[in-house]
Amino acid sequence: MSDISLNKDELLEKIESLTAQDHEKILKTFKHYLTSEYAAFLNTCAHCGLCADSCHYYLTDKDPKSIPAYKLKLISKIFNSTFDLVGKRFPALVGAEKLSNKMIKEWVDTLFGRCSLCGRCTINCTMGINIPYLIRAARGALASVGIVPLGLQSTVNTAVNKGNNMGILKEDWLETVEWLEEELQQDVQNPEAKLPLDKPGSRVLYTINPREAMFFPLSITAAGKVFYAAQESWTFSSENFDVTNYGLYNGDDEAAGILSSRLIDTMHALDCRELILAECGHGYNSNRWEAPEWLSREYGAEVKSILQLIADYIREDRIKLDPSKNGEVVTLHDPCNLVRLGGMVEEQRFILRHCVANFVEMTPNREKNYCCGGGGGQLSMTRFAERRIQAGRLKAEQIEATGAKIVATPCHNCIDQLMELNKHYKLDIEIKTVTEIVADALIIPA
Amino acid sequence: MPEIEVKGQQFELNQEGFMLEPQEWDEDIAMVLAKTEEGIEELTPDHWKVIRYIRGYYLEKNVAPMVRKVCKNSGFQLKYIFELFPSGPAKGACKLAGLPKPDGCV
Repeated sequence: MSDISLNKDELLEKIESLTAQDHEKILKTFKHYLTSEYAAFLNTCAHCGLCADSCHYYLTDKDPKSIPAYKLKLISKIFNSTFDLVGKRFPALVGAEKLSNKMIKEWVDTLFGRCSLCGRCTINCTMGINIPYLIRAARGALASVGIVPLGLQSTVNTAVNKGNNMGILKEDWLETVEWLEEELQQDVQNPEAKLPLDKPGSRVLYTINPREAMFFPLSITAAGKVFYAAQESWTFSSENFDVTNYGLYNGDDEAAGILSSRLIDTMHALDCRELILAECGHGYNSNRWEAPEWLSREYGAEVKSILQLIADYIREDRIKLDPSKNGEVVTLHDPCNLVRLGGMVEEQRFILRHCVANFVEMTPNREKNYCCGGGGGQLSMTRFAERRIQAGRLKAEQIEATGAKIVATPCHNCIDQLMELNKHYKLDIEIKTVTEIVADALIIPA
Repeated sequence: MPEIEVKGQQFELNQEGFMLEPQEWDEDIAMVLAKTEEGIEELTPDHWKVIRYIRGYYLEKNVAPMVRKVCKNSGFQLKYIFELFPSGPAKGACKLAGLPKPDGCV
């Protein structure tokens, strides 16, 4: 695996051209992210090493640069040389080091290239240090001077400039919805079945991950079928339908705020009561938990995952399910942003137990689950793709050990990574969203 | 950087097998990518129908077409597109048509 420093490319050339003024801006932005709690975390590491065996990067490459404590050290070195009195005067005493272009290269290689912000190190840290938060802050500091790996930054730019992260045109989105509506009508044999658009006063505003509309539309029809069966009052927006927020990954709070505010504002403009987030791990974490911070305001409405909605349908007997329709062995992958970082742990299990005949857990699971390797923007950063596939080896082994033929996961980002792991590690599995599995189990009254 | 050899000439790919210089694409390259990236030994007329449509759309609009357009234009069902290209429309069909990697969760 080649080190970033050996590759000649545009990002490295850009780093070489950074000036002292740029360095100041990086430090200023980084300081802006640091509350006293996080500043304290920077020098709290007891070097116990427990984090090493929690990280899917270190466990698969055994490179000391992949140890979370090492990643943290890269950040605290700079912090100490800039903001710490002892570090300023006697840098060697506290391992302080001045920010340099060489160090920025190492930040890019390690903080973008060896971390999926999955948070597994934090739950294994004896001091409870929120390492991913600090890594995100460092990424955001680099983003302030335009130092972000290409695919990640272009995904943020496309979302901010074109309204969704794949640059789907409104007319193409409308054409796709019309097509999927016809498919739904055939499926449920009712010409009145709808995928409503911009319907004011609907109870629910539903969102999607743009890759569903662009390349993998079966999950959209599946959600439509579940809403149809539950007789939900719901709508899509013709403009703001994108649940994703890659501002979480490049650390740019301003961009992140712009993206989340579109959904909230659309919900209020359409006079909907609940914003329902599609199966998207980081979209849930961003819009449910982080966005009120980015926007410095309260929503004044409910923001939920579609999993919560479906679990309610089951509890309230609004949908009928036949688990024998999903006879294969099914296991569940827990997306880090939804489960470990988002707190949504049991709803997906409750749903699956009602929809499949043979559900098995992988080990470890829930908040202890391993990242698939695709999170933290890794899927979009092609320069680190080989490491991403290697870091996914643990997930591949977990899946194989279950003997499952179908892996359910409530996250489209995880799905793409699992599809690649399936191909690379020859797992011979099928990967589905939870909603697709629910739709397959539905009994539609004639 | 990974490379492929087509008729004695080397072409650079990114770490995910997408062409680094999409304008260098030709149908010989597609045939080699089909084998190395998708494990397809021989491209059938149905594969070509999809690949040529995607390539033409990309040259005209500088983006990949949505799968709706691919189905409509080819007359194929969605399920059949996934049978033709097991990695799906993005990492299968678009990659073979020499498009750059799309933004987003792919």
